[in-house]
Amino acid sequence: MREGALASAPQLIGIVPWGMVAGVAMVSAGLTKAQAVAMSVLVFAGSAQLAVLPLLIAKAPLWVMYATALVVNLRYVIYGAVLAPYFERLSRPWRVLLSYITVDGVFALFVGKYGPDDARPHKHWFFLGGSLVMWAGWQTSSCVGIFAGSLIPHSWSLEFAATLALVAVLVPLLLDRAVVCGAVAAGAVALAAAKWPLNVGLLAAIAAGVAVGLAVDRLGVARAGRG
Amino acid sequence: MLDEAWFGWALIVGMGVVAFFTRAVFVLPGSHLRLPATAERVLRYAPAAALMAIVVPDLAMTQGALSISIENPRLVAGLVAFALAAGTRSILATIAGGMLVLTLLR
Repeated sequence: MREGALASAPQLIGIVPWGMVAGVAMVSAGLTKAQAVAMSVLVFAGSAQLAVLPLLIAKAPLWVMYATALVVNLRYVIYGAVLAPYFERLSRPWRVLLSYITVDGVFALFVGKYGPDDARPHKHWFFLGGSLVMWAGWQTSSCVGIFAGSLIPHSWSLEFAATLALVAVLVPLLLDRAVVCGAVAAGAVALAAAKWPLNVGLLAAIAAGVAVGLAVDRLGVARAGRG
Repeated sequence: MLDEAWFGWALIVGMGVVAFFTRAVFVLPGSHLRLPATAERVLRYAPAAALMAIVVPDLAMTQGALSISIENPRLVAGLVAFALAAGTRSILATIAGGMLVLTLLR
């Protein structure tokens, strides 16, 4: 457990400013301080939280915000599919706990260190140790943002920092050409659809992004097959 | 403050359910469920597409109008942030660099 905590500690440098920005952004989007703390603890997914806030400000319907959170969080479904064989021998409470606390950085560390058939019995403690460091760092920095955010002058336009934090989360997802093309298409459709009602534009952009990603992927496979 | 408190709570609880569901859907059953290859691709493209669809209008539009020029400080700062994120993979450098550029341009 200590080993996991130590291995993930350097990632706090990224988590702390991100959490503070999220904390400030939640309050300025209109959530009460209690709601912002609850969101931080219950949702514990910074990118989904930050993605939903502009929609909250624009008074989008609830289901659109749920859908957005779901789509942004879909990467965790992949992590879960990879992690399932590692954790299948654990008790149900353990699996609930480890599911709740999964974050990108610790997932990458853990999968990099252990294979799925690794017989070492304490690997889930490594996962828990790393995740707890991230969890504590996230909750602490969120609270600093929530309760001290009002001390920051409005002229700093800190809401822009929330957009920048999303850029920082987005870029590592752009792993290959198909994802990049899909993402660019989504951005273009989002611009073109800006005058549409918010829910339609966002969903159209996501659909276009997935479609273009799949198409580019097909094209690459076809070309590799011929060559 | 939001007009109605229940709306905020409904958002938070619903998002909590969604976030837990995406993380637990494969881990909790614990059986040998496998993700089909096509599903895995869709799951890879969707989050990047959603984040781009939120970020791009925020950078390239000013007061509801398209604004793609070097005179748009948010766009320039955003592009610098993209470059920093790609080069450093550091959230701190991305936020700090982008904010610095925005402040300097204003």
